[in-house]
Amino acid sequence: MSKSIAGIYSGLAFVRRRFPINWRAFITAFVLVLTLLASFLLIRYTSYRSVQAKFYGEALVPAKAAYDFHLVDQNGKAFQLSQLHGKLVLFSFGFTHCPNICPTTLSDLAKVYRALPDKARSNVQVMFVSIDPWRDRPEVLKKYVPYFDPSFIGLTGTDDQIAAAAKAYGATYEKMHHPGEDQDVYFMNHSAFTYLISPDGNWKLLYDFDLLNDTEKIVADIEHVLAGG
Amino acid sequence: MIKTLIALLMLAPILFADGLPVKIEKPWLQAVPSVASDTAAFMKIQNLSQASIKLVGGVTDIATHVEPMITTTQNNEGGKMLGMESVPALEIPPGGTLVLKPGGKHLMVMGLKSHPKEGDRVKIVLLFSPGNQKVDVELAVLKQEPK
Repeated sequence: MSKSIAGIYSGLAFVRRRFPINWRAFITAFVLVLTLLASFLLIRYTSYRSVQAKFYGEALVPAKAAYDFHLVDQNGKAFQLSQLHGKLVLFSFGFTHCPNICPTTLSDLAKVYRALPDKARSNVQVMFVSIDPWRDRPEVLKKYVPYFDPSFIGLTGTDDQIAAAAKAYGATYEKMHHPGEDQDVYFMNHSAFTYLISPDGNWKLLYDFDLLNDTEKIVADIEHVLAGG
Repeated sequence: MIKTLIALLMLAPILFADGLPVKIEKPWLQAVPSVASDTAAFMKIQNLSQASIKLVGGVTDIATHVEPMITTTQNNEGGKMLGMESVPALEIPPGGTLVLKPGGKHLMVMGLKSHPKEGDRVKIVLLFSPGNQKVDVELAVLKQEPK
């Protein structure tokens, strides 16, 4: 132990002899790096603040390229998010056996969709991505999702496809069995966010479940994003 | 005559129990598509009595079970995850109000036998303890939480 400490000291002494430190230069460099770091953080923060100030939803600063998920639509056709390039997309994860959160989310989104001016509405697509692919087959989604609005799209896929899509958006879910009950009887716990993807394919905003009932504010966010903001 | 009066007076507390002193506001049922097996009922229940009461469930013609549920929030890998948990009862203290709302406590209406449409009205008999006290509620079937 003491031997190794002595070793480090002699090593340091060697370094100091070989490379004498110019303290003035060292401190100047240190202050310079600190100033650069501080201004970088300040710029990041002020840009976040200025972007966030424009929106009701939680802004992603900088906006992230939206993960292009590969899923299956309610008609059983392969579906990719990038097919909707040029449209603003709002989507959430859920499941059709959900009695509380999911119908509320879809009803809130339907209200937002209908409140949009005609021109904006034609540039918006709402989608519902199932995290319960075992029960939510395309034919089930076809009877469920358009109920809230005929234009809405329901998506499902393989376990892996859904896991990849959820992971990319930070969504989480898990199957909950009731102890002692049939393995086919279960609920899904899941995160309840709605994601806003801009027409140019960037993930711009995030809405927590309880933000969705303020229709006017979400309409304002959508119009802002459609205007290129 | 006096005997009948006394008998009636003795019955009075029982009659009172039949009409549990609760005030129910904005009862509504989430309208769901015909493929859905379950939905949820929401309302505000104010306990006007001097004693604590518990909502233990309900009975309705449109479904096999009506159960009190709570919404749970857990943190999973830094993300907020919502889930549901069946509870035996939801307690309302004297003078207190139980708020059943989307994303919160609710009555889960399970095993739907029919799917009422938006604008319909459905009846649920709420069950309270102690005792087996019943309160009839007529709910508006809505797609959206009323303001």
